[in-house]
Amino acid sequence: MMTLRNPLSRAPRLIIVTVVTCLSLISSAQATTVRGTVKMPDASRSTRLYHGYWRLDNGNVPVQTSGGAKAETIVVLENVKGSKAPSARTVTIELGSLDARPRLVVTGPGSVIELKNTGKVRHELSTPDKPAIMQLETLLPGATRRQRFESVGDYVIRDSEYPHIMISVIIVGTTFFSAVDDKGAFSIANVPDGTATLKVWARGKWVAEQQIDTSTLGKEELTIKVASQREQLKAEQEAKAAE
Amino acid sequence: MFLSKIWFILIALASAVAISFALIAPRPFERRLGALEGQRLDRAQYAAEQMFKVDAHKWIDHVGKLGRDAIIAESLDAASRGSGEDRVIHRTIQDRFRTLIPDLTSGGIDSIVAVDTKGRVIARVGDNEKEYGDFIGGAEIIADALRGYLSDDVWGVNGRLQRLAAAPVLSKNRDRIVGGVYVSAETGPALVERLKKNLDVDIALLLRGKVIASSRAPGQLDALPELIAHHTKEIEAAKRTQPISMMVGKEELIVVAAPFPGQAGEQQAYYALVGQHPADSGFTALVQNATSDDLKWGQFHWLPLLGGVLGMIFIGLFLQRLEIDAPLARLRRELQKLSSGDAQKIQDNRYGGKVGGLARDINAAIERFTHAPTQRSDIAGKDLNAILGPSGGSTFDLPAADSAFAPPPPAFAPPPSPSFSPPPPSQSFAPPPLPSFAPPPAPSFSAPQPFNAAALGFGGGGGGGSSMAAAEPSNLPLPGATKPTAWGPPPSPSEYEDDTRQSPPQSDGDATRVVPYDPDEEEEAHFRHIFDDFIAKKRDCGESTVGLTRDKFLQKLRDNKASLVAKHNCRTVRFSVYVKDGKAALKATPVRE
Repeated sequence: MMTLRNPLSRAPRLIIVTVVTCLSLISSAQATTVRGTVKMPDASRSTRLYHGYWRLDNGNVPVQTSGGAKAETIVVLENVKGSKAPSARTVTIELGSLDARPRLVVTGPGSVIELKNTGKVRHELSTPDKPAIMQLETLLPGATRRQRFESVGDYVIRDSEYPHIMISVIIVGTTFFSAVDDKGAFSIANVPDGTATLKVWARGKWVAEQQIDTSTLGKEELTIKVASQREQLKAEQEAKAAE
Repeated sequence: MFLSKIWFILIALASAVAISFALIAPRPFERRLGALEGQRLDRAQYAAEQMFKVDAHKWIDHVGKLGRDAIIAESLDAASRGSGEDRVIHRTIQDRFRTLIPDLTSGGIDSIVAVDTKGRVIARVGDNEKEYGDFIGGAEIIADALRGYLSDDVWGVNGRLQRLAAAPVLSKNRDRIVGGVYVSAETGPALVERLKKNLDVDIALLLRGKVIASSRAPGQLDALPELIAHHTKEIEAAKRTQPISMMVGKEELIVVAAPFPGQAGEQQAYYALVGQHPADSGFTALVQNATSDDLKWGQFHWLPLLGGVLGMIFIGLFLQRLEIDAPLARLRRELQKLSSGDAQKIQDNRYGGKVGGLARDINAAIERFTHAPTQRSDIAGKDLNAILGPSGGSTFDLPAADSAFAPPPPAFAPPPSPSFSPPPPSQSFAPPPLPSFAPPPAPSFSAPQPFNAAALGFGGGGGGGSSMAAAEPSNLPLPGATKPTAWGPPPSPSEYEDDTRQSPPQSDGDATRVVPYDPDEEEEAHFRHIFDDFIAKKRDCGESTVGLTRDKFLQKLRDNKASLVAKHNCRTVRFSVYVKDGKAALKATPVRE
């Protein structure tokens, strides 16, 4: 005698199988949050790029140490499995008060940087390291200059008249990047497990780079120590001597 | 003259070394002076750097005092809070600035600027003092002031260098920052003038690849930016350059460059200290730069120099006298004796070198002239005549030729006539007949035929001086020789010598050693005897016998004998040894039977 079963009685089983399958898939593609601290050399902790002979405390009111040049540090994870480039966009940078706002832009390939002179002085902007990208041009008060950045890379826009105005344009192929806070801490969430290249950008150049394996990080916090210029020179000399 | 030559070579070498020193010596000094000039520039650069630091501190102090002014503080506090009218605040602060610093120019100040907490310009004095309201808070020095720092900076804006100092302005209660003040001073010709005055070097200021101020003539240092651009790495590492050489026309300059601090440093802002390279060190420069003072007694080591020169001259003259003058004078004296007949020849062994060679040449010439073939034949004839009489047989010198016994035709005397009767030999030279000798074949003896025999080539020392010379009576018993009573004892060799010197050889002691003409064996004995006598005579005369071997000698005698026999159709030839001119000589006497 045949027993006829109700088709609906199979639904719980299917649900269970589906859930188990999804869970297994999720477990195989786990994401990690990469946390850490970038320790900059003493010289880089200054809010100034360029110093004169003297810099003294006023002796009455505590000095403020936040902001300034040291705020222009980001951490980028490259070569992350399955990462995609951010979409292109237009970013406006205002040049006024003898300053540029923002000074650091991280965006995807094809983005347009719009430089708008809102101040009363003229600026002479270019990318000296890559003159083919932006040649030296004078940006008069009220004028705007637009520049598209097609390919992944780092670009530094300098003002030859006011060297402290340094705009970093980082065109990345990944969405895994983060700015650091005043203490140098950073956090990049949802990084897929696997190897990646962690790079630190500060004050117009890459100052640190290391390979990490996000699958083994767990809750461990990275500490990235950035060598000072003197240490870098010394290391280069030692490397040359070793060769 | 060996020592003289060595001395001249030493003098030449010493002169070359001295000239080399004279030409090279200025170069190390030139380098040293260049290095000293570089060091001077180094110190000047250090002093300039300290001056800039002191200036910056002075400006900071200055601006700090402005920031502590109550009126300025209250005005900026009001401006920051937006509680007052900007124009009023602007004027108030301006007036206060002018009150505090009545003369900006005397203080070296270009402008004084006050900003509120947002970096907005509230008031200016000096440049663009009518303008206000613009924001400059992005400038690092202003931002620093608003953070609470007193600091300085150098800007390069609009082709000008500006040194700035900024300070925060604190509230009346000094519990918060209500704004900032900065002063700026142009860093241009005025600074260049001041630095030149204080440091005693030329100064140039550079900004973005251009010389913006210089204490040297315009255009002279146009190449300086490019020169410094080649040393940017060095400047980056050491904050200065080593002394760099730079040519400006024919002038060589030394430059030490250092960067300005602050953001102007990013704009290729440098100050360069320029010195002059020491004068050229070439020979002409050496002469041109020498003064009469340099040659004064106290400045120049005249005594050692004069002593050295005189010493060299003395040594040279001494060597010249030793090796040239004295031998020449001695030679001259000997020549004078020679010409006056007091001497027969020059004692050439007393001379060395070329004078000795000259003496030997003179001797050789004398020898040649006195023994010229024609004369020799004459002498031979005289000898012959003296010994054998004018028509008698003769003996002949064996000429001093290397051809050993080869009779030179001109010297050959005609054969004697058959009727020739030899004169009796001199009694003093007539040797007593030796008992062992065979009886002389007097009746059948035909007088020796005069002829000139060739010389033996082996003369020993003297190069031809051992010529076989002068005629000799036959060593065969002559008619007169048969009278024993007429013969005296055989003379000693010295007597022979004397006799041969005084007169042409008539006979010598060897004449007593008559070798009978006999078979070949006896002739060989005769030759050996002659050889022994020749050797003995040579030794007696102090001549060398090196190279004179018996076999060679005998062979020469044989050859000569054969040649003479063939030539004169005589039966044989008799040889004898005698001394002529102090040297052993041979005579050959043809024997006809």
